[in-house]
Amino acid sequence: MKKTIFRLYYVWQWEQEEQWLNDMSQKGWQLAHATIGKYNFVSGESNEYTYRLELLDKKLKSEESTSYLHFLKETGIEMVGKCKSWIYLRSKTTEGGFEPNNKTLYNLTHLLKVQELTNKIRNILITMIAMAICTLLILESFGSSHVTEFLRGFCTGLSFSASIFSVIMIPFTKKSNEKIKKTIKELYTCE
Amino acid sequence: MNENIVLTEAVFYTLLALHAPLHGYGIMQETEKMSNGRLKLSAGTLYGVLSTMLEKGWIKALPGEEESRRKDYQITEQGKTIVRGEMARLEELVSNGQKIIK
Repeated sequence: MKKTIFRLYYVWQWEQEEQWLNDMSQKGWQLAHATIGKYNFVSGESNEYTYRLELLDKKLKSEESTSYLHFLKETGIEMVGKCKSWIYLRSKTTEGGFEPNNKTLYNLTHLLKVQELTNKIRNILITMIAMAICTLLILESFGSSHVTEFLRGFCTGLSFSASIFSVIMIPFTKKSNEKIKKTIKELYTCE
Repeated sequence: MNENIVLTEAVFYTLLALHAPLHGYGIMQETEKMSNGRLKLSAGTLYGVLSTMLEKGWIKALPGEEESRRKDYQITEQGKTIVRGEMARLEELVSNGQKIIK
């Protein structure tokens, strides 16, 4: 039996996503393929596989990533899905070898990678807003025509939506920063 | 070289396992055997450990067979020096512990 589920998780919700995949595995639904928001499951034994989400350092096609994935394959870990440099890995639950030896350090690395990604998105948004405002200012010196009116509307819309998106991101960035601080503290006490 | 290097368990056992040429999965099995099943290295951890040690020159990658693409690794002289240094440090910890807390 097969089933496809459409679901959207944001980058910072990787723990929930991973938990969900493992819950599905417990119910006997094994992930066979995953891309953005789309998950294909095949019915199998309950808890047959354990799933893990990872964010690669380099692009998926790069030599480093290829050699990493090859290394994982040797130890019985296979990649079942990808979405940019996010990868979905699974390993037979009985074989283990999946649980990171230092979970706190692992989480910290992951959090930092996610932070890097959100920073990148934020920078793009800021650049977009700045460019839109510059264009609006330049347009001031031109007369009114269909083209300038269109551009005005477009730039206003763009800067407006980019601003809203940046504001929405604030609480998530804050939460992620707090999590990073907490994890570092935890790391000190257990080291 | 920094004299005060503290090795993690994963690094220490990997260096021990590599006294003879061994591949990734072999290191995981060997480590588990040596520690009587206590230390199970995860593939992700081991991969990180191996790349760091290759960079530092503590281990070397042996030319593998073309077809299998499976890489074997082995400890270098520098790696052995690191292990000896760590053993001396651990001995100091244990002997001081025994002197004070019996």
